[in-house]
Amino acid sequence: MKYLSTPAGTTRIGLAYGPGIPEFVEAHPGLVDYIEIPFEQLRHSPLLRSLQESVPLVLHCASMSVAGFVPPADATIDAIALEAERMRTPWIGEHLAFVAADPLALPGVAPGSPTTLTYTVCPQLSEETVQQVVDNVALLQSRCTTPLILENPPQYFTVPGSTMTMVDFVNAVLSRCQVGLLLDLSHFLIAMLNTGADAHQEVTRLPLERVREIHISGLNTQSGIAWDDHATPAPAPVFELLELVLAHSRPLALTMEYNWSPNFPASILHAHITRVRHLLGTA
Amino acid sequence: MSARHVHAVMAAGLANPHLIERWQQEPTLLREYGLSPADIDLPALWKFAGLAVKVRHNGLRGDLPWTFRLLNVLGLEADIFASYGSFLAKTGTSLGNSSEARAHDLCAFLEGWLDGENPGHCLLWDLIRHELALMQLCKTSTPDPFLQTLAPLDQGSPCAATVPRICGTIVLHAMRCDPQTVIAALRHVSPPLHTLPREPVHLCYWRQASTSDIQILHVDELGFYLLSCSDGSVSAADLSRRLVGGRRVAPNLLNGLAQLREAGILSFHNKAKKTAR
Ligand SMILES: [Fe+2]
Repeated sequence: MKYLSTPAGTTRIGLAYGPGIPEFVEAHPGLVDYIEIPFEQLRHSPLLRSLQESVPLVLHCASMSVAGFVPPADATIDAIALEAERMRTPWIGEHLAFVAADPLALPGVAPGSPTTLTYTVCPQLSEETVQQVVDNVALLQSRCTTPLILENPPQYFTVPGSTMTMVDFVNAVLSRCQVGLLLDLSHFLIAMLNTGADAHQEVTRLPLERVREIHISGLNTQSGIAWDDHATPAPAPVFELLELVLAHSRPLALTMEYNWSPNFPASILHAHITRVRHLLGTA
Repeated sequence: MSARHVHAVMAAGLANPHLIERWQQEPTLLREYGLSPADIDLPALWKFAGLAVKVRHNGLRGDLPWTFRLLNVLGLEADIFASYGSFLAKTGTSLGNSSEARAHDLCAFLEGWLDGENPGHCLLWDLIRHELALMQLCKTSTPDPFLQTLAPLDQGSPCAATVPRICGTIVLHAMRCDPQTVIAALRHVSPPLHTLPREPVHLCYWRQASTSDIQILHVDELGFYLLSCSDGSVSAADLSRRLVGGRRVAPNLLNGLAQLREAGILSFHNKAKKTAR
């Protein structure tokens, strides 16, 4: 089995698991340091664990509902902790978002079971949510020995009751939790575009020294809203943000999330890896 | 406004995008949950639900690469998948288990959703049918070997009693624009879709019984008609009667049949001989 080491001062470069990615990694020995794989995919297809015979894996997760008010099942937390230990992932990357919420019930009507989604949702950006994240993280850290890093979510619209900007929200969480930051630059740009904020100015307000991992992927604007898009390459503004961040910090890992389409051109994957290595000064 | 409650409302809408549409149409329904449409960007929430539906169709990108590219270029992804999400929720339909089922269901939805007057929609309708035809024929299992041994029985010139039958498997589509031209345009960074010639074409996607290759044949209207009717049970006389009436078989129809057999796509059988057996 291969395991990822993450020495300080070095940035490992990885790809998010998706169709064609293991084949790409195998066809380009030495180009990719790891594959980042979602816990949910491993739970559904345990045979994927065998990927680790040829390439180190890093665990990503979308089940902890860190910014939610309905906790995941105990069995889910146990399974995540076990998977992380088995994989010897340097950390678990989880979204600063929610996947489950209370059931919607009219006054006087008995509520049903919680609403559970298959994807993560940007939470209300408020003190109430920050406190909930702090409580949730404390609980998760008591049950899981692998370090947790939190990923900034894409913000498509202002969630009702929000009182903070995305950057203020992330800062508030990090100032009160012992977790690293998984800075998804595409999510960050999406949030800035959709809220009319200046991405370059805002990114430097983040605690960049806490960034452990960076994600980059594409985005696409439709109906006046910028959306996450892992089927298209990261555009120039994402690379500009990357340069800005790298001027202030040295993440331990950088993952390209080009995992929605088996047709994603291998030439672009190759070019982007080379470009990132060049930016990191390790070309 | 409690975060806990806001999350509950958002999650309910995302789990059932049709509910978001109803909140837009009848704000009182949303007010019962303590929110007004002014508090929340319902169109954006609805489209976000659509993004999740789109992601659940990523498995189709391998078979429908140009359809997805065109959706992206036309800026229709958000609208289509949000509408589809609402439709699924409203009708209580779950997504199919296989790529083929999901592709088929999506196409069936688009048939009702797309606007035949909208040029972009027409391109999309042609392109998805093009890619679905290729997908369908690629995944067609090898025909029954017994059927392959049946052809060709009659190599003579077609006559009134000739019963044409397709050799292999075909899919026929009448398109408003040649999808291969659309694909060529989509290879550009900024696809010049507005300059594409809008010339109707009749296409026959053909997989021969003996190979896995798929040919795309441009046929004329008569050829299209003949192929669409050649199911191995209708004679040339019947085909002619349906097309032009009268008892005499139209000579151009016999000509057309002969050409299609020459191309290898039809084989001929004789109705009279069959009956005699
Ligand atoms: Fe990410």
